[in-house]
Amino acid sequence: MESSELKKTPLNQMHRKLGAKMMDFAGWDMPVWYTSILEEHKAVRTHAGIFDVSDMGRVWVTGKGAGAFLDKMLTKPPQSLPIGGAQLCLLCFENGGILDDLWVYRVETDKYLIVWNAAKIESKRQWLDKWAGKNPDFRIDDVSAKTVMLAVQGPSVAKLECLKTIADLPRFGHKEAVIGGIKVYAARTGYTGEDGFEIIADIADTVRLWELFTKAGVKPCGLGCRDMLRLEAGMMLCGQDMDSNTNPFEASLGWLVNMEGSDFIGKKALIEIKQKGIKRKLIGFEIQGREIARNGYKIFKSGKEVGVVTSGGNSPMLNKNVGFGYVPVEMADINTSIDIMIRNKPVPAKIVNKKFYKRGG
Amino acid sequence: MTPKNYKFTKEHEWICPDGNKGTVGITDYAQHELGDIVYVDLPSPGAKVAQFKRMCEIESVKAVAEFFAPASGTITEVNQAAIDEPKIINEDPYGKAWLVKIEISDPAELNNLMNSDQYDVYTAKLTKEMKE
Repeated sequence: MESSELKKTPLNQMHRKLGAKMMDFAGWDMPVWYTSILEEHKAVRTHAGIFDVSDMGRVWVTGKGAGAFLDKMLTKPPQSLPIGGAQLCLLCFENGGILDDLWVYRVETDKYLIVWNAAKIESKRQWLDKWAGKNPDFRIDDVSAKTVMLAVQGPSVAKLECLKTIADLPRFGHKEAVIGGIKVYAARTGYTGEDGFEIIADIADTVRLWELFTKAGVKPCGLGCRDMLRLEAGMMLCGQDMDSNTNPFEASLGWLVNMEGSDFIGKKALIEIKQKGIKRKLIGFEIQGREIARNGYKIFKSGKEVGVVTSGGNSPMLNKNVGFGYVPVEMADINTSIDIMIRNKPVPAKIVNKKFYKRGG
Repeated sequence: MTPKNYKFTKEHEWICPDGNKGTVGITDYAQHELGDIVYVDLPSPGAKVAQFKRMCEIESVKAVAEFFAPASGTITEVNQAAIDEPKIINEDPYGKAWLVKIEISDPAELNNLMNSDQYDVYTAKLTKEMKE
């Protein structure tokens, strides 16, 4: 944490008014649930839910050299995106360790929007500033404190009357729009495995924007159900499933790295890592019992400790308990039996495809 | 409503004493703090428990919590319904979601527990502290 005082989003009062249970998430005072994690999860999988994601960072990179700069910083070159396109990629250190995963949106030829995780915002900004150097021919504007960001997710959101001006956006598409009389920047992205939008607006419009959705029957959802949704959909959480001590290949995030494209920070190290081959790998598992595996629990194989759980939880869609963890590469095949040590008891589990749930499948 | 004839611990367990027998569970405050409960690991009948020592684990979607015995004694019965369908602990923690029955070895220990009024004051204070 960068400060002992918890940071508050513009919706903090609203969460408290709604009776949310609050928790410290990456130094932010955030809602874990309003009514129940399971009810909120169901709302997102069957209808529509709304999340306050204002704790995430929003940074504009604008100017002649913006694209070249981001090509150097990110593991996939944003300059190859069409205007209106977006991609998920990584911010790596020189040694190939992961600083963050983030979305980069190409808004104009020389104008990009970055949305990154709430954790380590200061270090990430310093990292960009360091590489930008003195007098760069582009600007880095962090607008996080001046804006609010909501994620509206679920199979019904595209049919919401209040979102009709952005319902035409393709997957990962984004644009400036007006919804309910409020000027926003909207993208068809999310972190739940469902259709949905992420919407940025001026801080002055916070309550109006929130109520636009809640009055349309969209259910307020907390971080508890967000974590359950992303795990179920096979999405990883930076700082928990991968960090500066893991490289993209062992984290099963090679698909976020373009080794053929432009040179980026960390590429040299990653070429070497790829040549040498990885020793451990992030896998998905399914518990063969009713216990939940949680972050830090040990993974065993034939009575020997071989790895560690990074994320674990209940999947209501599968009615099973699932998780992610690292094991040696030679044990990482689908259907391999492992044991998870849960409170001094080995609980059998099986390695499975980590996309536990797929929408419409 | 906190049942008047129950006794309570600071760790949010309750016991409903009946002579030297007692029915045990967790409180409404506890289930509310835990959120959606998905797994309960109860001791077996015949197991001995000691007052304020570990009795069982209850796991919610969000966290796992240990609970402690409100009185020393021997487990005589466990509630299979709570094991089979843990969410009833969220729905009816003082009623059908009792956890175990105990034969109490020292009824005088019950004097170490709070009555329902004291427990209400105690939890109101906890709730207030959390909101601040």
